[in-house]
Amino acid sequence: MRVWRQGDAPRRKRSLGQLVWGLGRRLHHGWRVARALFSSQYALMLEYRAETALWALSGILPFIMLGIWSQLAVPPAGLGPGSGADAGGIGLDQVQLSRYFLCAFVARQFSVAWVVYAFEEDALQGRLSPYLLQPLQPLWRYVAAHLAEQLTRLPFVVLIAAVFFLLQPAALWIPSPARIVATVLAIWLAFSINFLMQSCIAILCFWSERASALERLLFIPYLFLSGLVAPLQVFPPALRAAAHWTPFPYMVAFPAQLLAGGAVPIAASFAAMVGWISLLLPITLLLWRAGVRRYSAMGA
Amino acid sequence: MAIIRAETLSKTYRVADKQPGLAGTLRHFVQRRHRDVAAVKGVSFTIEAGEMVGFLGPNGAGKTTTLKMLSGLIHPSGGMAEVAGHLPQRRQADFLRQITLVMGQKQQLIWDLPPLDSLRVNAAVYGLDDATARRRIAELADMLELGEELTRPVRKLSLGQRMKAELLAALLHQPAVLFLDEPTLGLDINAQARVRAFLADYNRRHGATVLLTSHYLADITALCPRVLLIHEGGLFHDGSLRELSSRLAPCRLVRLELEEPRPAAAFVSYGEVEACDGRDVRLLVERERLTEVVARLLADLEVRDLEVSDPPIEELIGRLFRQGAVT
Amino acid sequence: MATPGLTALGMKGLLRYWRTLKRFWGSALASQMEYQVNLLIEVLAMAGNLAGSLLLLWLIYGRGQQLGGWSLDAALVVLGIYTLLDGVSSTLLRPNLGAIVTQVQQGTLDFVLLKPIDSQFWLSTRTLSPWGLPEIVTGLGLAIWAALRAGARPGVATLLGGALMLLSSVVILYSLWFVLATTSIWFVKTWNVTEVLRAALSAGRYPISAYPAGLRTLFTVVLPVAFLTTVPAEAILGRASGMWLLLSVAVATASLLFSRWFWRLALRDYTSASS
Repeated sequence: MRVWRQGDAPRRKRSLGQLVWGLGRRLHHGWRVARALFSSQYALMLEYRAETALWALSGILPFIMLGIWSQLAVPPAGLGPGSGADAGGIGLDQVQLSRYFLCAFVARQFSVAWVVYAFEEDALQGRLSPYLLQPLQPLWRYVAAHLAEQLTRLPFVVLIAAVFFLLQPAALWIPSPARIVATVLAIWLAFSINFLMQSCIAILCFWSERASALERLLFIPYLFLSGLVAPLQVFPPALRAAAHWTPFPYMVAFPAQLLAGGAVPIAASFAAMVGWISLLLPITLLLWRAGVRRYSAMGA
Repeated sequence: MAIIRAETLSKTYRVADKQPGLAGTLRHFVQRRHRDVAAVKGVSFTIEAGEMVGFLGPNGAGKTTTLKMLSGLIHPSGGMAEVAGHLPQRRQADFLRQITLVMGQKQQLIWDLPPLDSLRVNAAVYGLDDATARRRIAELADMLELGEELTRPVRKLSLGQRMKAELLAALLHQPAVLFLDEPTLGLDINAQARVRAFLADYNRRHGATVLLTSHYLADITALCPRVLLIHEGGLFHDGSLRELSSRLAPCRLVRLELEEPRPAAAFVSYGEVEACDGRDVRLLVERERLTEVVARLLADLEVRDLEVSDPPIEELIGRLFRQGAVT
Repeated sequence: MATPGLTALGMKGLLRYWRTLKRFWGSALASQMEYQVNLLIEVLAMAGNLAGSLLLLWLIYGRGQQLGGWSLDAALVVLGIYTLLDGVSSTLLRPNLGAIVTQVQQGTLDFVLLKPIDSQFWLSTRTLSPWGLPEIVTGLGLAIWAALRAGARPGVATLLGGALMLLSSVVILYSLWFVLATTSIWFVKTWNVTEVLRAALSAGRYPISAYPAGLRTLFTVVLPVAFLTTVPAEAILGRASGMWLLLSVAVATASLLFSRWFWRLALRDYTSASS
């Protein structure tokens, strides 16, 4: 966590001991700030738990789409996937479809970002100016809020998944520990991409009041290309290839397939996600600096 | 005839009890605890048509709750209110046409549009024909000294201009009863004075009844011959400000100028320390002990100057509220 | 015939509501004109959403499969009606009903309650966002075009039935949304309730028979998604049974009455609970 402290900006030569001590102090300070931020945000999110529960519930789109695709699934008595016997079918059986859409639901739940709305609200309510005066990059505040919100969301997601397995006991499975670890990592990377993309839009609030409308537009390709409404396998190859040039398939489809146990190019996908993050991060930071400059020029 | 009547009016709220911090949050999550809070406890008064009455009390004393019960926004939990011959909580159209509520911290004007657009909406809602609406807008705008502000978007108006436009919107239907909750909140001295002058003028012209709460005692002293003081949900005083001050002031204010600065703690035995600024000290002393205390002060300390006066009403009321908070 | 006095009073009252509505929408249009860029955003969003939905239909029908026995053209009628309803939401429902929560939170609902006019009328019609109109037109156009392609024969009965079913579906959608917005009187923080509703209603993009039996029952009995898009589509295609038409009108009437009753109930609590 990067923390800006006034007074220690100009650095002169220091002994190694001083450097280590300074670094330790900074780490310690960063840890304290992180802990305080997280726990206060968690208390706040618990206040909004009803909202969070409803929001978790509003992510049911994958289940609705499961209903649609189920009719087109390979019949359970038929041949296994990949045998090519189901002409016109989608090459996935009911259980595979159920698992995929459940995992897509979970991936979406823990990679949701809403920094645009929080930031816009803070800007409108005039809370931004005090944040800018604090020796802490304000975006960290939103990161903490998102992580706290994910923790609040966890029990509701578990509950929804439990109900799902009650209704579809055949779909129940235990992923391997390695897959679980990889999925958690993938979902966090997906969250980072989502958060950075939204932050860029949020920062545009410095220029235009209507920046959040852009988020609405960005959501549309996300909705259709991320794998939330259809598994990417059913896309024609050219469209699938095109989709993989965007960050969207990595945000839902990849973590979902990873968790559901499908065959996915793991290393290449992780590399692509890291690539997107290393592209978005500098853009976000540059935009932020320009935005703050404009904000102070406009008289805050 | 009384236009406002309140009989043992009471209101009890149920509030959630939550300890601060994470542990408190979690405990609250598992087990919710509630507490009943009596905001207004059996308040009775009557107000005659055309009166201007000031409503005093510290934050949370129940002023706003009482106003909201009288305007029909909240149901009383006990007792009853009658305004202009109606039970307010029924909110009949005939009743609503006769009253208005102005809240200093809330606004009804449309933010992005000039006040005139909101006024036209209100005119339609109250069923005023265009000619009447135009005439009233012109009259009120003249009294409020509003001109081109009415055609400028509300967001571009200053706080004072906005408040005046809010008053215009609230009075367009010529209500007989005005409930004003902090109408001068946040305004500068000049704007406060202008709003005050307008209210007095309006009351004179239309014989309207005004019930007004304010943090600024100046509003009340300038406008209201009669004052209701609510304290901890009960009616503490109903009468003129002068009566209130003599009732509250078994005290006198002693102003001292000392040769040597002394800490505040040194004066506790003499009376209540109002202010202590090194050499300048202000003490509130009970009337019966005044001569004795002054004699002791002169004997114990090196006093350069000493002055005894009636304490200002603000301080008396403030003192009452502070005591209320302690006991 | 009612007594002349009563009729006159009713006419006068209606006239006042009509004048008020004109003022409401006049001022709303005036304030919306400052944000023309919203038109572009709305049109882009509509185009994107339609393209995505068409892509999905193409993925399904391109394989020679059918959704619940509906031909592609018939399914497009459903999509058209869904788009139309989405337009109605952006034009009227979201701007008005979405503001209720804010009004409760900021306490400006007080001003509405103190006006001598029906508060549900005020809250439901106060503003209007013209930028959803292209979506309404496009949705209606798509529905009619697809219905003609699917072999619908336009006649008086079909037109009347279709119009009545569309009206019912708008009324049902409005009532549902209003009831959910009303809950903010008790639980101030309920922006997301309407999000759940929107998510569930997105099932209406496809004919109801495309879903497995369990979901189909859910979307007919618990959440009337079927009445929102499928039944009007059947009516426009000229194949709705009289029973369904009647049922749809009944559901619409019942939900409208329920929303009024629920609002009164909520107000009784608002007036005794809020400070």
